Amino acid sequence: MSNTAITEQAPINSATRGNQHGLLRGKRHYLLLAPGVFWMLVFLVLPLLMMVYVSFWTQSTFAVSPDLTIKSWVAFFSSDTYFGALIRTLRIWLTVLALTLVIGYPTALFIGQFVRNKNTQTVLLVTCVVPFWTSFLIRVLAWRPMLGKEGAINILLQKFGITSQPIEVLLFTELSVVIGMVQIYVVFMVGPIAFMLARIDESLIEAARDLGASAWTIFRKIILPLSMPGVVVGAIFVSVMVLGEFATASALSGRKVNLLGNIILTQVGSLKWAFAAVIGVVLTVVMAIVITGLLRVVNLRREL
Amino acid sequence: MMELVSLTKSYDGVSVVKDVSLTVENDEYLTILGPSGSGKSTLLRVIAGLEWPESGTVFLDGLDIGDQLPHVRGLGFVQQKYALFPHLTIFENVAFGLRNRQTDPLRDENEVRRRTLDMLHLVGLDDLGGRMVGQISGGQKQRVSLARTLVAEPKICLLDEPLGALDANLRERMTVELRRIREALGVTFVHATGNEAEAMAMGDRMVVLDNGRSLQIGSPDQIYDLPASVQVARSLNAYNVMAGDTREGVFYHIGHPLPLPPGILDARYYAVRFGSLSILEAGGKADASDGSIEAAFIASEFVGSRMVYFFRDDHGDILEVEQHLSRSDPLDFSLGERRMLAWPVAEVLAFDAAGDLIAGTSRGIAA
Repeated sequence: MSNTAITEQAPINSATRGNQHGLLRGKRHYLLLAPGVFWMLVFLVLPLLMMVYVSFWTQSTFAVSPDLTIKSWVAFFSSDTYFGALIRTLRIWLTVLALTLVIGYPTALFIGQFVRNKNTQTVLLVTCVVPFWTSFLIRVLAWRPMLGKEGAINILLQKFGITSQPIEVLLFTELSVVIGMVQIYVVFMVGPIAFMLARIDESLIEAARDLGASAWTIFRKIILPLSMPGVVVGAIFVSVMVLGEFATASALSGRKVNLLGNIILTQVGSLKWAFAAVIGVVLTVVMAIVITGLLRVVNLRREL
Repeated sequence: MMELVSLTKSYDGVSVVKDVSLTVENDEYLTILGPSGSGKSTLLRVIAGLEWPESGTVFLDGLDIGDQLPHVRGLGFVQQKYALFPHLTIFENVAFGLRNRQTDPLRDENEVRRRTLDMLHLVGLDDLGGRMVGQISGGQKQRVSLARTLVAEPKICLLDEPLGALDANLRERMTVELRRIREALGVTFVHATGNEAEAMAMGDRMVVLDNGRSLQIGSPDQIYDLPASVQVARSLNAYNVMAGDTREGVFYHIGHPLPLPPGILDARYYAVRFGSLSILEAGGKADASDGSIEAAFIASEFVGSRMVYFFRDDHGDILEVEQHLSRSDPLDFSLGERRMLAWPVAEVLAFDAAGDLIAGTSRGIAA
């Protein structure tokens, strides 16, 4: 959604330019939009509307009928299981977002500001993506022998006598889900921030130093504000992916931690289409709010 | 008063600034003239504390500031590329130092506002305080950058090619502006430039820097009249310099004899100002006492109040002749047209093998 907001600008610009160049006369340049608009209408807008519609259908045990009702909506908001899943999803999203920021920002700061060689910068950023060379499932499942009761971390802790008992909360808990997600998504935070930081001209920092600002002031007043677009873009990436997550949660929580994504999956599995649609709408609305909120933080159009 | 004491700086073993010592007086406009790569930017950066010298130090009002970090030195540095903060308005850019400096920041917003607006007024940007950096022109950015540095009332303001990125007419306006602003505040300016006309026009005193070394320090007219060495004469871009040697009081520029002022026996370089040369009528002969050389016309350039003609002599050296249009009308030559160029021998400067000015040069005595 954020992407459409940003990329909207480009076709309009090139269209006016096309006009000036006389490449396409009159209003014909709008034809350029036709394939994209058609695709989005048929495969995004229509299904979205359909989802909203279906969420008001009547659900019986094995079938849905198009008789409008708000029963599924009432069921969602009155059930601890489902409303709790919404709260849990939001909690895990915020935790993961905060952790990716706390871990990602210093890394990005190092790569973007302290590595002056462009090649080294590229190498370091590529290194961040190395985990993506294996499949998603393997990457997630690899956490099990790592975090398990007899996993690597517990063995090491006991071997060095730091703990006497294996720590059981490491795996099949919310913690393991958070650990798994942070590891996967932190790179989406590092990339955009490092990119913005690398664009900050060294002379700005020198100018600020010469004007008497201390290192901390320079970070707060110059570096941080100038990197905010990167933080926002990174946060949008992470948010969109975490809010819709289900695979990490089911693989690392032993099905104990159910996010909205997991519930959609089980509801669709048991053919509860109306109920799945309710959650789908809720999730879409949450994402829209989150992205709108993040975009409010920084005027991306001005900064990028 | 600031003293530089034998500052030396090198990058990867290549010295960029070599043993530069210099005294900068209070309330003066000092220009540093040097071609690109002469080390003038590095010298300013070392003074500002943005680079550390290998040896030597800087005294400010008798105090050694060589070990201090840039933000406590009390010097202002105006970057060549302006280095304005793109996320702040013009007002916030100028107020940045007042609000955020480590020593003695201004907490009173009214005071910040008053001083910032005063400074914006001084540089002629009263109405632009609310604009963003991307919304103003290059000349305005230059002023903002200057205002941002000057508002903190630095003891000395270092300017790294401040007019370098401006187009010609803006450059001329800013030349006047810079002097006016400096005089209004009584702050010392140290202005590095690669443009000899700028260095001479703006400086109360100028330093000629070449290859990291300070070659000559003095008032512009002193240096212009009597360059201490042949490198200085070359960097002023106002002298035709010919290489050769001297036999029995006559200078031979690759075989071509040129008269020398009396008493000079060991000249290796022979220099005459562009403006001292005159172009003789076709077929004309120079006075026996004058220096002269035959050369072919290449091009001419109209520079407002004067014309500059370029000739090439038989040895391939370019000779420039400057003619003030208040004295005569512009001349027309066809390409390759051969003319005699002549000059009074009293205008000649001679330099020895080391490149140093030979004291006996008659104009030297006159000056």
